[in-house]
Amino acid sequence: MNAAIHALKTDGFSGLSRKLGYTGWWLVAAALVVLLGTPVAAGRDLMPFVFAGVADGAIYSMAALGLVLTFKTSGIFNFAIGAQAAASAYVFYSFRMDAGLPWPVAFVLALLLVGIGGAFLLERMAYWLEEAPAIMKVVATIGLIVLLQSLLTGIYGTPTLQFPPFLSQKTVDIAGSTVLASQIIVTVLALAATIALTLFFKRSKVGAAMQALVDDPELLASQGTSPAVIRRYAWAIGSCFVSMSGMLIAPILGIDINLMLLLYITAFGAAALGAFDNLVVTFIAAIGIGIATNVLSIELAKIDSSFVSRLYTQVPFIALVAALLLVPKARLVERGGKRVRKLPPIHQLSPRVTVGLAVVTLAVFAAVPHVVPSVDLNQFTVGIGFAVVLVSLALLLWSSGQISLCHMAFAAIGAAAFSHAQSHGVPWIGCLLLAGLAALPAGAFVAIPSFRLSGVYLAVATFAFGLLAQNLLYPSEWMFGLDDTTPLIRPDWGGLDTKNDQGFYYLALVIAGLMVALVLAVRRSRLGRILQALADSPAALDAHGVRTKVTRLSVFCLSAFIAAIGGVIIGAANSGAGGNASGPFGYFNSLALITVLVFCGRRPVFGPVIAAFLFVVAKIYPPMDSAFMTDYRGVFFGLFALGVALWPGLRMPTLTERGAQRGSRSPVKDRTLQARPAAVEPETSEEKVLVSTR
Amino acid sequence: MPPLRVEDVTVRFGGLTAVSDLSLHAEPGTITALIGPNGAGKTTTFNACTGVVKTSSGRVWLGDQRLDKMGTPARAAAGLGRTFQRMELFDSMTVSQNVAMGPESVFSSRHPWGQFFAPASEKKEIARRTRSALARCGLEASAGRRVRDLSTGQRRLVELARAIASPFRFLLLDEPSSGLDVHETEEFGQVLLSHVAETGIGVLLVEHDMALIADVSTEVYVLDFGQLIWSGHTPDAMTSEVVRAAYLGGEIAQEVLHA
Repeated sequence: MNAAIHALKTDGFSGLSRKLGYTGWWLVAAALVVLLGTPVAAGRDLMPFVFAGVADGAIYSMAALGLVLTFKTSGIFNFAIGAQAAASAYVFYSFRMDAGLPWPVAFVLALLLVGIGGAFLLERMAYWLEEAPAIMKVVATIGLIVLLQSLLTGIYGTPTLQFPPFLSQKTVDIAGSTVLASQIIVTVLALAATIALTLFFKRSKVGAAMQALVDDPELLASQGTSPAVIRRYAWAIGSCFVSMSGMLIAPILGIDINLMLLLYITAFGAAALGAFDNLVVTFIAAIGIGIATNVLSIELAKIDSSFVSRLYTQVPFIALVAALLLVPKARLVERGGKRVRKLPPIHQLSPRVTVGLAVVTLAVFAAVPHVVPSVDLNQFTVGIGFAVVLVSLALLLWSSGQISLCHMAFAAIGAAAFSHAQSHGVPWIGCLLLAGLAALPAGAFVAIPSFRLSGVYLAVATFAFGLLAQNLLYPSEWMFGLDDTTPLIRPDWGGLDTKNDQGFYYLALVIAGLMVALVLAVRRSRLGRILQALADSPAALDAHGVRTKVTRLSVFCLSAFIAAIGGVIIGAANSGAGGNASGPFGYFNSLALITVLVFCGRRPVFGPVIAAFLFVVAKIYPPMDSAFMTDYRGVFFGLFALGVALWPGLRMPTLTERGAQRGSRSPVKDRTLQARPAAVEPETSEEKVLVSTR
Repeated sequence: MPPLRVEDVTVRFGGLTAVSDLSLHAEPGTITALIGPNGAGKTTTFNACTGVVKTSSGRVWLGDQRLDKMGTPARAAAGLGRTFQRMELFDSMTVSQNVAMGPESVFSSRHPWGQFFAPASEKKEIARRTRSALARCGLEASAGRRVRDLSTGQRRLVELARAIASPFRFLLLDEPSSGLDVHETEEFGQVLLSHVAETGIGVLLVEHDMALIADVSTEVYVLDFGQLIWSGHTPDAMTSEVVRAAYLGGEIAQEVLHA
């Protein structure tokens, strides 16, 4: 404190700010909140909710600590912590409830199986992804979510499994409030873990090696410390924290992977507020989010507005978005290996081949209504809608290198806006145009994080927006309402007969064709060239006068516009749209789409078309329509996505081999071999002395 | 062509002062060198001039246009171009596409709709500038190759070609000969000299290769620990004890001098 006061006196506010540091400010803020907030909470009888919030936050903080630890040391942002926590809880359930083992034994077995076993697999995944571009790192962990979600719901079913409490349920009286012993235990456990991990990083040799691992694994190896071993330690600790968190939360919420995927955003929010680096701030933030969620659930319930009263559920998402927009950019550094393997360039097909492929594709699409049974035709129309959404995603992903995990939100906004416009008597084409335009503000909003974030951080921001849209916007009257459905009526254009499935299929095909033409025109335009350059080197574009913020804004808005048109096709094919998480516009589809798009290759149009066919149409035909494949389709999508993301890394030379290669291509060696005459001449001239210092 | 003036520029990163009260003046039609040992603040000076980092104080002028309140793209649009120590090329593009992206980017910043539409007159001008820059840098034979497949030396030339194809009025070149062999460095120097002589553009050159500095520059500024420790004519720099001390350390310089 004296040091802080001294800094304030000598260097003013900036000196105090430097002295306190990020952790210091958070500790000061936390102390102020406790001092000022406790009397208020006590006066409003909110203390039981505060204690419940602390316990909830403590459980999520363990997952957040695991996330931060593994991200710091490997550069892999584990989007799948919710799925991993759920997997631990399900396995714990099997050992405890099905096998009847005592809870400590079941707990340890689940920890070994999912925590340690998962750590081993994740460490290998991190190794293979070491030099992968950000998109592949994101796709790998998203693939893991899709895989685990499908596998676990296939095995355990979708209903929530109830799990009886296993920690002590005795009560203790604290400040006039009844607190469960289990709540105290988890809070103390999380606090101890935070302190131990912080000390571990600062004091222990392995902790220092973990820090070094982030900076330069090859240098660490050259000092006689195995990066693989250190990375394994980090993943073991991180993975066990996530697993413990999942098992501790099971008795409170029951076990439901879809619910846990959403709830573990709290851990994302806490980690983001800790700048994905600071363990102490991560812990404080998790506790803060826990308290805010619990307290607001009571306070906002008093307000007569369904929108406001539901806001408490969005605290973690709001915290995550706010953190990504407000945490100093310098703190959000890209983690992971310094060398990043670039994606292979998209080879332009010759005009002849392009035209040939386009003609064949059009002929195939035109023939579909005459070949497939009429009962299946609507699924093809939905497929066309998804193809349009995927084309818009490919424009963003492959042309400009921007990641979006919220594309179905744009599609949903389009479908909802179309329905509202239609209910106001706007002509069909006008509704279609308005649907696209309605998605522009959302596209612009999502583009804002892209001004300052890229790679994994942008993926996290768009993921948060997708969930926020799903939970807050979809149920609002602006979109699908609490009824969760809005009608989309097909046009009635007399002779064209677009009301029936066949007529609407052809209309959808024409609209999709126009969207594809728009994308191809953009790719061939100056904007297309700037987008391609943006994917390669934003710094060079900036240095040549391009306002890259305008570029990013433009491409997000354009992509959102096209996705919204795709959403209208999907909605109109189904004669209505809704915001159900498991429906076509659910956030999970945004994740699944990016995985399927990646494994269909980097083609701007054919990739999305094939992806849409696999994602929507193939599932109605054998063998994909079997009960087994219906349950476990996601496992295959997830495995394919993992395969595509990991394959280049699987072929990567070992660390020792890379060290040898690095030595052989060292510029020092080149200079020795091709030494300039001036450098090898006797240093008689003063000028030559300087030359030799190169 | 305008001169570049840096007046009392200071750059701080937290508690660290990377550049302290630096002033320099680089004339058009000449090559001015900015040298110093690693960590002296040379690249930070470039970053401060181009707006990549914020200056704590000081002013940057291009002619009579003050740049230090502008963002990076606006400074480039005003005519201040640069290359990077760690090359920033568009790896998925060919050599000629890379070079063409230089003028195309600058032209796109001239109108609010510039990123979306390219007038025919601009297309012609871009093609002319690209051809000329490729010819000047001897890259015509590699024009159709992807830059990711080129050697470091060729990549450096592509970056230079992109910069000279762009309608810049002053160039900042950051260690352009890094990674080049002797022959490539000499060629590089000739290209630079002929471009400056023909266009009258000013160049501020960060470089460690003193032979190249001696060949092409007329004035030298020497930085050490973020401070300007010497400035003057290039031949004087080569014999300056202060310059040698900065590069070799005081004691080593003394030993060399008394050997």
